[in-house]
Amino acid sequence: MIRTRTRITPYLLILPTLVVIGALLFWPMIQIGMLSAQQVGHRQLRGEPAQWVGTDNYTAVLESDLFWSSFMHTVLFAAVAVTLTMAVGTAVGLLLNQLRGRMSNFVAGGVMIAWATPPITAAIVFSWLFGSTGGLANWVLEALPDALVGGGWRDYNWFGSPFPTYVVLTVCVVWQSFPFVAVSVLAGLKSVPGELFEAAKVDGASAWRTFWRITFPLLRPIFLVLLVLSIIWDFKVFTQLFVMSGLANRDAYNLSLFAYAEAFGSMNAKLGLGSAIATVLTVILLVVTALYVRMMVRRGELA
Amino acid sequence: MKTSRLAALAALALVVTGCGSSTGSTDGAAGDGGPPPILTVWQMGPGSPEQTTFLDGVEAEFRKNYPNTDVVIKYVPWSQAATAFQKAAAGGEGPDVTEIGNTDVQSHIEQGNLADISAEVNAWPEGKDLNKGALANDQANGKTYAVPWYGGVRAVWYRKDWFAELNIAVPKSWPELVAAARKIQDTKKVPGIAAPSDQTNAILSFVWANGGDIAAKEGNKWVGKLADPKARQALEFYTGLVRTERVAPDKYVGKNELQGPQQDFALGQLGMYIDGSWALPELKQIKDDSANWGTFPVPGPTGGTAPVFSGGSDLAIWQTTKSKKASFDYITVLNNKRNAQVFADSQKFLPQFTDLLRGSRYASDPLMSAFATAANAGVRFTPTSKGWADYEQSKKVLPNAVKEVMQGASVETACKQADQQAGQLLNP
Repeated sequence: MIRTRTRITPYLLILPTLVVIGALLFWPMIQIGMLSAQQVGHRQLRGEPAQWVGTDNYTAVLESDLFWSSFMHTVLFAAVAVTLTMAVGTAVGLLLNQLRGRMSNFVAGGVMIAWATPPITAAIVFSWLFGSTGGLANWVLEALPDALVGGGWRDYNWFGSPFPTYVVLTVCVVWQSFPFVAVSVLAGLKSVPGELFEAAKVDGASAWRTFWRITFPLLRPIFLVLLVLSIIWDFKVFTQLFVMSGLANRDAYNLSLFAYAEAFGSMNAKLGLGSAIATVLTVILLVVTALYVRMMVRRGELA
Repeated sequence: MKTSRLAALAALALVVTGCGSSTGSTDGAAGDGGPPPILTVWQMGPGSPEQTTFLDGVEAEFRKNYPNTDVVIKYVPWSQAATAFQKAAAGGEGPDVTEIGNTDVQSHIEQGNLADISAEVNAWPEGKDLNKGALANDQANGKTYAVPWYGGVRAVWYRKDWFAELNIAVPKSWPELVAAARKIQDTKKVPGIAAPSDQTNAILSFVWANGGDIAAKEGNKWVGKLADPKARQALEFYTGLVRTERVAPDKYVGKNELQGPQQDFALGQLGMYIDGSWALPELKQIKDDSANWGTFPVPGPTGGTAPVFSGGSDLAIWQTTKSKKASFDYITVLNNKRNAQVFADSQKFLPQFTDLLRGSRYASDPLMSAFATAANAGVRFTPTSKGWADYEQSKKVLPNAVKEVMQGASVETACKQADQQAGQLLNP
C-alpha cells in the first residue's frame, strides 16, 4: 500500500501544474495545429463546422513569394539582432560590475527604462526619431559634415525599403532587449569568486583574455539560456515592425507580420492560413533551439 | 488554504478551455425581447469630446421612448476594427448597433454578421431620402443590412497664399497639376505635391478619371483591369509624380496621407496633398493656418473633375442582438436628418440624405464646396465583392504595386501582378 502511494504522490503533485500548462499552452497549440488544416473565417468562429482542407494552407503558404522573403528577413534579422543583443548586453553587464556608487545606479536606471518600455511605445518613439517630418535622426545626419555621412538626409525615408527599415528595427529591438542580458550577466558575475579575477590580474592577463578564459567559461550556462531566449524573442518580433512599416510595405514583411496579414489583416479573417504560418514559425524555432540545446548537452555544459 | 488555491487554478484552467471552444449559436433571426436594460453601440475611431457630447444628446432623445435603457458607447479605433469584429463573432460579445466602414459592409453581410433590416428600413419615413447609391452598397440579394450614415470624398488641399503669390491658377488638368507643383517646388523649396503609395482611394480617382477601373465584373467573375491601357496610364502618371516628374518626394513612398503629408502640409512644408474634408479638424490641431488653405477637386487628365471614391460609414445591427427593435429605433434617432446634419457638420463630413446634399449650404462654403462639387460630379464605389477587404486592407494590392513602380519596377509587370491578385482575391 505504502509503496504505491509513494509512487503516485510525485505525479499527483505535478498534476495541477500540468493541467494549467495543458489548458493554457498545449490545448491552444493543438487547436492551432487543427486550424491550420481547416478553412476558418467568421462563420466558423461563431460555431459553424469548419471545412477540412488537408495541407492546402501549407501549400499556399510555401508557394507564396512573400513567405520566402519574410522567412529570409526573419532569419537574417534574428541572427544580427541576437548577436548584437548578446554583445551589447554582456558589455554593459561587465561595465555595471565595475561601476560603483552613483554611477552604477545611474547606468542601471537608464538600462531599466529601456527594458520597461512597452514594445508599442518603443516602436512609436523610434518611428518618430527616424521619421521624415521633424525626425531627430535625419536632422543629426544632415547636420553632420557631408564627408562623413554623405548628404541628402533631410527627407530620407527610413521605412521605404527593407534594408533601412530593418536597420531601425534592429536598433529598436536591441535597445529593448539588451538590458535583460546585462542584468543577467551582472547577476552571474556577482556569483564568481573575486579571487579568480585577482589571480588573473596578478598574472598580468589582459581584460580580453580574462573575459574569455574566466568569465565566459564560468557563465556559460547563463549565456546559453540567454541565447536561446533571445533567439526565441527575436524570431517573433511583430509589434515594432507593424508600427514602423505595416501592411503597405510587404517587401519588408517578416513571418509574424505575414501571418498577421493573412489571418487578421482584413474583415475576412483567414485563421487557417494564419495558423499554418504560425505552425511553420514554431517548427523553425523548435528546430533551431533543439539543435543548439543538443549541441550544448553533448558537450556536457548543461550538466 | 493550499488545496483551495489549487482548486481555483484548476477551475480557472477549465474556464479558459471553456472559452476556447466557442458557443454554437446559429444564424437564427435576431431576437426581440422588448426594451433592453443596456444597448451597446460601437463607434469607430478614437472619439472626441464633440462626438461624446453629440452622442449624449442622441441618447437623451432616444431615452424619451426608452426611459429604462442605458446606451453604452464603445469607441473602437479604425486600426483595431477588424480584430474587434472578429472577437465579437467568436465570443458572442457583439454590439447591438455598430458603425461600419462602407467598404467592409459586403464582407460583414457575407459573413452573416449583420441582421436583415429590410422591413425596418422600408417602414422608416426618412429612409426614403437616403442616398440611393450609398444604400445599394448596403444591400445583397434584395435585402438591406445597413443604412448609410455619413460620407465624404477627397480633394486636393493647396496653399492658397502661395498660389496667389506665384500667380498659379487652380489646376484643371494633369499637366497643370504638375506645373503648379513644380512652380511651388522651385520657388518655395518644399515638395510641390504628395503622392503617397498607400492611398488606394485617392489613386483610384486618377484611374477612374482616365476611364480605367480597378476591376470589372465579367459574368460572375471579377477581373482585374489595371493592366488595361487607360488604368495603366493613370498609374504611370501618379507614380511618375515621384519617379519622372520629381514634383513629389520619395519620403512618402510606403506611407499613407496621415504618415507625413498631413503634418507637412499643415506645417507649411508641402504645397498640395490629397485628403478628405474631414482632415480639417486634424490639420487645425497640428497648426491652425486655415486662412491660407484651399481645396479643389482632383482634375481629370485633360480637364473636368475626376470621379471620387465615396468613403464613409454606415450603421448596422449586429446579428446576435437581443433587441432589434430598440436597436433600429436608436439608429433612426442617431441618423434622423437633423442629427445626421449636425454630426456631419461637426466632423466635416457630408450627410447621406439626398435632399440635405442638394441644399445651398455647401455651395457657399469655401472649403466644403470643392468636396460638394466632387461629390456631385460623380461618386464611385469600389468592387462590391467580399474579397475587396482582402485586396484593400490585408494585401494592400494597389499600394504595394504603386510602391514597386515608384521604386523602379515596370508599370506593366506591376499591373499584371495586381490583376492576377485581383482575380484570386475578388472571387473567393
